[in-house]
Amino acid sequence: MDRRTAWILCAAVGLLLAVGFLYPAFCVLREAFIDPRDGGFTFGYVLAVLRDPLYRDGLINALLLGLASTLVAALLALPLALVNHRYSFPGRGFLALALLVPMILPPFVGAIGIKCILGTEGSFNAVLAGLGWMDPLHPRDWMAENRLLGIVVMNALHLYPILYLNLAAALAQMDPAMEQAAANLGCSPWRRLTRVTLPIITPGLFAGGALVFIWAFTELGVPLVFDFPRVAPVQILDGIKNLDRNPLPYALTTIVLVVAGGVFLASKLLFGSGRHGAAPRPSLRSAPQPLNGWLGWACSGLFAGVTALACLPHLGVILMSVSGHWHNSVLPAELTLAHWQEALGSALVVPSIQNSLSYAGLATAVALVMGIAAAWVIARSDLRIRHLLDTLTMLPLAVPGLVLAFGYLSLSQEGKPFAILVGAGGSPLLLLGLAYAVRRLPYVTRAAVAGLQQCDPVLEQAARSMGASAWSTLRRISLPLLAAHLAAGGVLAFAFSMLEVSDSLILAQRAEHFPITKATFALMSALGDGPQLAAALGVWSMAFLSVALIGASLLNGKRGGLSGE
Amino acid sequence: METLSIRSVRKTFPTPTGPLTVLDDVNLTIAPGELFFLLGPSGCGKTTLLRCLAGLDFPTAGAIFFGDRDVTDLAPHFRETAMVFQSYALWPHLSVSENIAFGLVERKVPSEERDRRVLEALASVRLDGLGDRSIDQLSGGQQQRVALARALVVRPRCLLLDEPLSNLDAQLRVEMRQEIRRIVKENGLTAVYVTHDQEEALAMADRMAILSRGRIAQVGTPEEVYRRPVTSEVARFIGETNLLAAEMSGQDAATISVHTAAGVFTGILGDPSHQTVAGQFTELSVRPEAWRPAAVGEPNTLTGIVVEKVYLGQRAQLTLRTELGLLRIVIINPPGDLTTGHELTVSVATSDVVVLPRK
Repeated sequence: MDRRTAWILCAAVGLLLAVGFLYPAFCVLREAFIDPRDGGFTFGYVLAVLRDPLYRDGLINALLLGLASTLVAALLALPLALVNHRYSFPGRGFLALALLVPMILPPFVGAIGIKCILGTEGSFNAVLAGLGWMDPLHPRDWMAENRLLGIVVMNALHLYPILYLNLAAALAQMDPAMEQAAANLGCSPWRRLTRVTLPIITPGLFAGGALVFIWAFTELGVPLVFDFPRVAPVQILDGIKNLDRNPLPYALTTIVLVVAGGVFLASKLLFGSGRHGAAPRPSLRSAPQPLNGWLGWACSGLFAGVTALACLPHLGVILMSVSGHWHNSVLPAELTLAHWQEALGSALVVPSIQNSLSYAGLATAVALVMGIAAAWVIARSDLRIRHLLDTLTMLPLAVPGLVLAFGYLSLSQEGKPFAILVGAGGSPLLLLGLAYAVRRLPYVTRAAVAGLQQCDPVLEQAARSMGASAWSTLRRISLPLLAAHLAAGGVLAFAFSMLEVSDSLILAQRAEHFPITKATFALMSALGDGPQLAAALGVWSMAFLSVALIGASLLNGKRGGLSGE
Repeated sequence: METLSIRSVRKTFPTPTGPLTVLDDVNLTIAPGELFFLLGPSGCGKTTLLRCLAGLDFPTAGAIFFGDRDVTDLAPHFRETAMVFQSYALWPHLSVSENIAFGLVERKVPSEERDRRVLEALASVRLDGLGDRSIDQLSGGQQQRVALARALVVRPRCLLLDEPLSNLDAQLRVEMRQEIRRIVKENGLTAVYVTHDQEEALAMADRMAILSRGRIAQVGTPEEVYRRPVTSEVARFIGETNLLAAEMSGQDAATISVHTAAGVFTGILGDPSHQTVAGQFTELSVRPEAWRPAAVGEPNTLTGIVVEKVYLGQRAQLTLRTELGLLRIVIINPPGDLTTGHELTVSVATSDVVVLPRK
């Protein structure tokens, strides 16, 4: 690619990131360092946060939650990925896809479900009471008793698919000859795992681990549902809700950002460059070894068990959506499909689906164009700045959605730069399109970079040598070869845009502009059968997103993954 | 068609430890219709030079001309070259015919003519009837032919081949050599062919350039390069040779005489422009097959004990221990009594003793 084109593409992506990401983030951070009295620069607020025992507790708790969630997610994902890579067992294809199901529900919706199951009046207590192991008059509140543990388990069950996908991608990229060579030299299966396989997939493990850590570290919905306020993201939300311009929440945000960004950069620096043992064109396909008898069924059981556990919240939501009355019983006392129909008839629901489709559609289109441009510069140009661009496009993963959403909100007020993005009647189409696009750019960029890296540049050079211009080469050679990767990245971006919580809650102000998530949130707090309607809407979006994710997974084949490296 | 000239081309790549020079002051002129070889060991810069001709890399300094046109900084798709890649680089999402038609589509050739030329190209590489196949349904040899057809069909100004045969098995490689040469000559193409296989170069080239560490060591016809290498490096790289230590003694118009530990030898200079001084240390390059059994006392003779014999039917490879060290010779139709331990005297013609500057 000639350098001029590379610079133009680089500038375009840079502009999008500068406007949609760096500037709003900077505006939020500025509050943390500017003394409102004299407008001078100060470290005082950051120091004050670190000295404040409440905030310090919040940070420590967030770190603990992040680390523990990542560890538990890794303990779940690693054996699953290894087993799926190495063995075939009954129902392997379906079970491997089903593992991804937990991703289809925003945790706060899942929270309705988990309350139905673990709450004082939930199914679990009803089971215990039915067995005579608990006094029904003095039920235990499971969610209140082990809050930290509960949050960790919820996070891990929601996030392990990210790690699983990364590990699966790393394993699929590994040249099977690596393991075969070790076996040939007399290495036992277990030592092959520790001496060859694990070291080779370590970059994948850390790339996925960093994403999971950042997600859990900045997770807002789950601690809120577990009613656990002493954790940094909740403290930020509470602080920002107060409009008295207290700078401490901003300073806390800054610290969260620095930690998240630091972990992300560290994982990139330590493991980003080396793609050990990757075979661009593996000479051998690794055929999984069939497991017969009880061993095979044990593997099926492992996959089904993890999926079932992770799907408890979803199950709760589904039951909720079909229940007429549900208290102190294992299953709802009455079943009805009325809520599903009512939900589709509600004034909030159908427009919210239309809104979400248009916001997410716009965002996906922007993210695809920009993601391809960025990937092209990263994977194919020799500009020094491509490394910076690579880091910059991934950085939105390291920034809590809440921070950016708040930046957008303050920038879109009357007279501020983003006011021009607010459409007629206060439509947040452009604002949300931009916000979604920036935060989903990493998925598309990663998918496109992975595709380009797997596609030998010589195929493009051959086209150039046959007289094709750069544009023609992109259109006739690269895009068709990348199609599966781009479709997969695009579907992920679209699905995650449909699920987006923070931007949607904060930026869509009027009911007629609500996207699905905000409509769900509004229904949840409505009186009457609101929660059931919310659950029904949740079921509709789960169904929709399952189809989208399964499609993406099929398109991507085994090479998928939210590979963060 | 036009002359292709490479003028003082230099190419450096940035590395963490400073710039790495891959090509250094390379000058070459390739005549129209010539099948020209770039030959050298791995890492000598031959592929980089080829990529500079294709426009896939650009020289750090120097210029490349196609005829009178300076193409040094021209983008690859304006050069009208066509390259055959070592890995073939066939596009997996296109059929055989679509791969071949690609360049014609770029050149906006009308579809009727395009179809006709694709069929012709398929026929010329003997792949008639396989146009609808997908790439992964072809064997390695067939894929190689598709890559060749794809490059030929656009009638390039210059055909560039980057080790096109290195992924084929030995027998197919030998067959394809003559096939490629036939196609290039039948189409009257100028072609630049990169390889590290000296036999391929000797068998196919009109002329060749030997590259060594980014510089051109020698340019000439296969016979010139084989019979009259200009440095011991070239002598060693092309074919097998014996390098013998010597000291310059005298020179007349055509021949040169040198002292060795085994007496006086007369030979010729590898590089006629080379200035010689009596007493200067030199090296002699004598090919194994240039020696023949002789009587003691003839000029240019050497006597030794046979220490190893490899019998190969029509010939035998012998190793002699002589006063000049171990000597490898090849004897055609070897007599049966020539066994290890025998003493043997061999001689060599003056024109087969190449005197080289000593490194």
